[in-house]
Amino acid sequence: MIRFQLVSLSGMKFDEEVYEVILPTLDGKIGVLDHHMPLVSVASRGMIAVRHKSSDPDDFRDYFAVSGGVIEVADNTLTVLVDEADHADEVDAAEAQKAYDRAQNMIKEAKDQVSLEHAQTLVDRQAVRIQVAGLKRRRRS
Amino acid sequence: MANTITLKRRIGSVKNIRQITKAMELVSASKMRRAQEHAADGRIYREYAHSLLTRLSGITEVEEHPLYVKRAIKTRMYIVMTSNSGLAGAYNSNILRMLTRLIIADEKAGIKSQIIAIGKKGAQFTRNIKSVDLIAAYTEVGDHPDANDIRPILNTAAELYRDKTVDDVQLLYTQFKSNLVQEATQLSLLPARFDATDESESEPLSNSTFEPSVEAVLDGITERLLEVQVYQAMLESVASEHSMRMLAMKNATDNASDLIEDLTLEFNTARQAAITQELAEITGGAEAIQQ
Repeated sequence: MIRFQLVSLSGMKFDEEVYEVILPTLDGKIGVLDHHMPLVSVASRGMIAVRHKSSDPDDFRDYFAVSGGVIEVADNTLTVLVDEADHADEVDAAEAQKAYDRAQNMIKEAKDQVSLEHAQTLVDRQAVRIQVAGLKRRRRS
Repeated sequence: MANTITLKRRIGSVKNIRQITKAMELVSASKMRRAQEHAADGRIYREYAHSLLTRLSGITEVEEHPLYVKRAIKTRMYIVMTSNSGLAGAYNSNILRMLTRLIIADEKAGIKSQIIAIGKKGAQFTRNIKSVDLIAAYTEVGDHPDANDIRPILNTAAELYRDKTVDDVQLLYTQFKSNLVQEATQLSLLPARFDATDESESEPLSNSTFEPSVEAVLDGITERLLEVQVYQAMLESVASEHSMRMLAMKNATDNASDLIEDLTLEFNTARQAAITQELAEITGGAEAIQQ
């Protein structure tokens, strides 16, 4: 088991002992299990998947939509620092879809490079949120 | 009689002032609560980012990274966080006094100062100092700053540091300690080499693997970690501003109440004196007629 801490600007989002964490990095996805070597890496925007027990199937995992950030593994603890992290349960699919459409419109209407980049960031953000919203964790009965 | 009329008018105007300060107190109180929550939420992130920067400073590769390299200081930049509006007690003056002290010390040491001001008060103040350059003023940052408000500020500072236009960047903000204690604080931002203050932070990262490479990691995270420092400083400042304003307005309301009490007493005395005098005149007149 490895301790996984997810820290966002709105505080500690997750702090538990888990079996496995899948993280998006610049070089693609990595999986972190216990006794991972000490590592410092850069998280990219995407989805974090947390498996609590080794026997848990994929749809029992916890999913988080995260913005880019920092990954550190040390002393059997995985710490991920990201600006934003939304748990699948916190994301409303319909709302995320609306926000996505709005952001798409902003791209069309963007007049300069700065507002275009801003709109593109919003689109990317909502795309991940929509993806995560579709993966709400099944509750163990 | 004229005296009672002026007194009455003064009581009225003090009452109006009390109403305004009371309203401002309540507004600040609710804003303060929200700002405090925000500030408390961000603290874990900031502390972790600070500890990571400290540990990163311990590895050898940082010596070549443009944001970590230390130079002899010829020009120093101050990022100064103040408010847009006044009436917040000593909030702005504490920060600006600190800034003045630092600039004077720099001048003696032959160091030039450049300033990025956040908030109108700081911008107005620094514009009047001849010896420093006001590079930029951000007055549009509201109570709920987000990453998009912070990024341009940090980008400007980082760019000037890379250009070697400035050799040191300091952040001046107000640290929120409690409802009653807020402290003007100085935080060194660039070079991004944070010296360990205690043992627990000095754990080296030399055994860690960096993916994809040390340079890529430093490039990818340094600015983000610095951004968090600025962001948190901003949240702390906003929380401090509101709690100091609330306290200042509470004091003003209390003073107004005291003043109203005194004036009312004075008004009653004057009114009573006028009545007594009038009675004396009437009885005096009546007696004169009887005789």
